[in-house]
Amino acid sequence: MSGSDEQVIIDDIVGKLGVAIQRRYGRTASVENVTIATLGASNRTLLFDLVEGTQRRRLVLRQETVKSEFSPFISTADQYRILGVVYSHDLPVPEPIFELEPTDGLDNGFVVACVEGETLPKTLLTDPTLEKARNRFAAQSGEILARLHAIDPAEVGFLESTSDSVDPLAAQVARYEGYGNCFPGIEVGIRWLENNRPAPSQRKFIHGEYRNGNVILGPDGIRAVLDWECAHIGSAMEEFGWLCMRSWRYGNIDQPVAGFGPRSELYSAYEANGGETVDEEAVRWWEIFATLRWAVINMMQIDGHMSGVRRSLPFACCGRNISMVEYDMLMAIKGNYK
Amino acid sequence: MSQDNPGIEQILTTVKEFAEGVAQRSIGAERYDALCAAFLMGVVQRELQLGDDQNNSQLTQLQGMLGKQGDLAELYREFSSRVREGQYDEDWQTALDFAFSQVVDKVKITNPNHLETEHRSS
Repeated sequence: MSGSDEQVIIDDIVGKLGVAIQRRYGRTASVENVTIATLGASNRTLLFDLVEGTQRRRLVLRQETVKSEFSPFISTADQYRILGVVYSHDLPVPEPIFELEPTDGLDNGFVVACVEGETLPKTLLTDPTLEKARNRFAAQSGEILARLHAIDPAEVGFLESTSDSVDPLAAQVARYEGYGNCFPGIEVGIRWLENNRPAPSQRKFIHGEYRNGNVILGPDGIRAVLDWECAHIGSAMEEFGWLCMRSWRYGNIDQPVAGFGPRSELYSAYEANGGETVDEEAVRWWEIFATLRWAVINMMQIDGHMSGVRRSLPFACCGRNISMVEYDMLMAIKGNYK
Repeated sequence: MSQDNPGIEQILTTVKEFAEGVAQRSIGAERYDALCAAFLMGVVQRELQLGDDQNNSQLTQLQGMLGKQGDLAELYREFSSRVREGQYDEDWQTALDFAFSQVVDKVKITNPNHLETEHRSS
């Protein structure tokens, strides 16, 4: 997409957003100070000020961009409902403000409060001002996840029927096969996963994509958990497997919790805050499962590029990056990256 | 050789250096796109250097393992269906070893720095 194409899209969104804001906050309300966080990944994210008289509030518009029968993401309507549930339990998530409606002409999405802080994974791992937050990350994650998993799944009962809630491995295999690919490494990984499934565990409401990159950090720690599009009902161990897979360590391989700290800090804090006893062997299975899932998400990105639906250089890279995820998968099966 | 200088390797190097230069003086999405472009040029360079030998080696391995002929794509599919059907469950190490070597080959082209040291030259 050229710069002028992007500008046309942005101008269109900002114009419609202004009307959407006036529909809800009155004709004197306006949109100012628009900046783009992401334009065309799995979600489009714009930051803007809602101006009402002398009042000004920083908000975030999230719009759905992936429309595929193999999309692993729940609807933005369900994401918005989830934010409401999690926010009501006083967990660190952006405050939900309003959901888009068809009359807004902005497709599917919602608006939430902006939480100031940093999200870029490499910055989180290196910025000197975030040292305290880094030191706290593993334990704080354990506490947040224990509180999340304590929420009664009935409060998000609409997630029970999603394919990831019913059988997460079957869901990934179906998506993989849907893309029509044939990766010997992935095939061996799938067979290993099928032959080594952990025993069924308690069913919890899980974030599904909790990792370095989906949290906002400030100097004193985690300020918000973002990106709830993969939330579902499943094993708490699945959450740990995703969080600890090699990809999210960003080079800090010897710090399994997203490059920040040791597993012991995560698990101790989780159990100390009411979480179930961590089954490390099950976490290992879920970590290998996580590589399959991450590979399939990369397949979605390269499929979008190759089909012409969402062409971009980063998505082109995703296609080749799958090989590195396959390597991590097979290395983990061989017993590495503990 | 029917073409004049620059050769393919030099063309790729030149474009890669350009993309790296753009990345150095850019920010945000433009910087990221430029880094991706440079990365992809590197992938092409390594595939030109290693791709044919890797393909020939894998073809020989698969023909021996599967006992049949075919092009690489066909044999990947045959291997994969046998793995998924459980035909390698009793000979798991054979399947794992081939898949791992095929993946290491790919990563040598995509990003050899991602490999553990012992796999970079194997």
